[in-house]
Amino acid sequence: MARNGPDDDDVFEGLLKSETASVEQKAAAERAQAHEAQAEQRAIELLLQNQTLPVTLSSIEINGAKNTRESFLAPIFQPLLDDSRNADYTLADMLDQPNILFHLSRPPHLDPSSAPTDLDVSLRVREKSRLLLRTGTDLGNTEGSAYGSMLWRNIFGGAESLSLNASAGTRTRSAYSAEFATPIRSNPNFRLSIEGLASSTQKPWASHEEVVKGGGIKLHWLKDNGDRHQFGYSGAWRQLTGLGAEASPTVRGDAGDSTKSAISYLFQRERRDNPMLPQSGYLVKTSTELAGWGSLGGDVGFSKSELEVAGAIPIPIPGIRGSSGVSIGGGFRAGLLYPLPLTFGLSGASPSRVNDRFTLGGPTDVRGFALGGLGPRDGTDAVGGDIYAAGSVNMLIPLPRVGPESPFRLQLFANGGRLVAMKSKPKRSDEMSGQRLGAGTVFDGMVSATKDIGTGLPSIAAGVGLVYAHPIARFELNFSLPLVLRRGEESRKGLQVGVGINFL
Amino acid sequence: MSSQNPSAASTKSPGASGWLAIPAPLARLFKRFPLLTYPPNELPVRSPRVRDVAALYVFISDQDALNGLPSFNPSCLKWQTFLKLAGVAFRAIPSNNHASPTGALPFLIPPSSPNSFVSAKPIPSTKLEQYTAENGTRKISEISSLKLEAYEALLNHRIRNAWLYALYLSRPNSALLSHLYVAPVSTSRVVKTTVLYQLRHAAEEEILRSIGALVVNPERLYDGAKEAFEALSTVLGSGEWFFGASKPSLFDAAVFSYTHLLLDQGLRWEDRRLTEIVEEFSNLVEHRNRILQRYWG
Repeated sequence: MARNGPDDDDVFEGLLKSETASVEQKAAAERAQAHEAQAEQRAIELLLQNQTLPVTLSSIEINGAKNTRESFLAPIFQPLLDDSRNADYTLADMLDQPNILFHLSRPPHLDPSSAPTDLDVSLRVREKSRLLLRTGTDLGNTEGSAYGSMLWRNIFGGAESLSLNASAGTRTRSAYSAEFATPIRSNPNFRLSIEGLASSTQKPWASHEEVVKGGGIKLHWLKDNGDRHQFGYSGAWRQLTGLGAEASPTVRGDAGDSTKSAISYLFQRERRDNPMLPQSGYLVKTSTELAGWGSLGGDVGFSKSELEVAGAIPIPIPGIRGSSGVSIGGGFRAGLLYPLPLTFGLSGASPSRVNDRFTLGGPTDVRGFALGGLGPRDGTDAVGGDIYAAGSVNMLIPLPRVGPESPFRLQLFANGGRLVAMKSKPKRSDEMSGQRLGAGTVFDGMVSATKDIGTGLPSIAAGVGLVYAHPIARFELNFSLPLVLRRGEESRKGLQVGVGINFL
Repeated sequence: MSSQNPSAASTKSPGASGWLAIPAPLARLFKRFPLLTYPPNELPVRSPRVRDVAALYVFISDQDALNGLPSFNPSCLKWQTFLKLAGVAFRAIPSNNHASPTGALPFLIPPSSPNSFVSAKPIPSTKLEQYTAENGTRKISEISSLKLEAYEALLNHRIRNAWLYALYLSRPNSALLSHLYVAPVSTSRVVKTTVLYQLRHAAEEEILRSIGALVVNPERLYDGAKEAFEALSTVLGSGEWFFGASKPSLFDAAVFSYTHLLLDQGLRWEDRRLTEIVEEFSNLVEHRNRILQRYWG
């Protein structure tokens, strides 16, 4: 500013001009915005004023549904038309209809057939692509696989779908599955699915390979509050084969064929804010399976029930407003496999086989133990148990500098569990594996096994780790040490990687 | 993807190599974990409890196994008999081919000490002769291999082919086949049908491979078996055991495994042609009775 000259004036003027221009521009934008807001406000007011306006629908026009059956769409929109015949049906009621997004609602035309309250509704829908093909590779915890899948949607124009999957990997040697699913009565929350599968899975913790061929039918019912019910029937031919050289006599005894014919029921109530990284809420999940009983048939008879409860509470930190990202969570799982006689048989119940029994331990349930590391062991084989209970407590803390919104957390955890097999009376000990047990023997065996769950401390491990919650899976890297063990149980001292969608 | 792969692998290796590099005080601290160790969990009910006796896994019904009766499978019965001839203590365990390390029965699991955490390795049938030599209480005759080979070939080809035809392919014996090999597999009809088809198919393949023909001709198979039994009858002559030995040998067990199953009243053969062939040679029938009475009695 030391010198004064014509140049400076020009510069100043130029600056001033551009400044006013930008201010004007801004003002114009603001005006436009205000105008828009006003228009919106007006529209809302208009709707509010008219929400008690009695309306009736004279027609619904759907655009864009070229592959969808009319008979599939009709039940979805029929209630709308039916409701609107009622005298007290108002605009608000119509807009409240779930499942449907109105894009347009038109005032009546000069159609002589329409009443003054009539509206014509026109909807635009967009169908998803009918065919989806996908191939890829997966790398997971000690497992690598390649897969190919095909999804064919809306086959008969009623949101039916057929999905075919094939994969081959290191642990799951091969797996093929086909699932046909269809909504019932056009309700997307009420689905029926029929599936078939053929797979061959390596089970290194028990030195064998299991080949399964089977099929089933399931009824899924998703309630509006998020509760899920699932009823199903499945039949499978299982083959325990490809035994390792070190396979134990227990596994050798169960090698070969068996068929399972079972009905099942599953209930799940998911109230967690984020299943991969729960900060608050709870989960309850129960499943029950009844195999071989009554007229079900098959070679194995049992009832198998499992319960899972999980929850988390956010911990507010003084000085941090809103969510601190710190939470304490807990989980509990328990299961019971109870041998039942086949059919209505009086011949007694057969004790459980290795492929029906529970396994416990591993990076996604009781951390700090090898896969199937808990429970009875014959030599190096984890042969599974008939009753288990496992629990965990963990604290999630956001990483410093990254904040609670990030999907990373530090984790402190302690978890433990017990897996025990049904007890047999010593006097029967020298009999063959094909034995049948009377109802009293089974009951006594289960009661003493249940008591055994509570004797002493459970097998426990504790540690720290890093959690990364990806939307489709959760990754954990933990360092842990075992605190309490049964002799033979296989714990992990040190690092363990876990990848999964359902952690204890 | 490929760039992440080695890094995923390398996250594991530092854990392993870092483990070795852990400083001594820390390693000592780690060694104190677990802090508490309880006695081991009990095994499930189906787990075999008796482990101080050798277990021979064979095709046999549960009841027969309990009563110490012969297996219904010639290969299994041959070794089951041989172990008895040699005075080896063992228990027969009902099993199937899936349990075997070689894919075929029999095999033997040697006794293990009750407190041992590692079970003994299974011994396939090819090594059973050696195991018997080490663990048997009775001496077994050794036959010079030159003589043996020709007669073993008779058993393993002509007689075995006729056996396979009679049991697996001859339709009148379907009920017997189902009773022995199909019914124990599963109660499911689908599984039974599949298994029956697989068994028949495998038997036919084996016969065709053995005779090098394209179709199975039962008459020729039975004629071949008759010639073979005739040759065996001639070589046995009036002696107690084959090849004039003073004690029975593995070959006696092998012949017994077929003759016994064909003569056994417990097996309901409907197509009795092979049985009738054996009954023609009275010294073979006596040989079978001799083994049955002295070693299975």
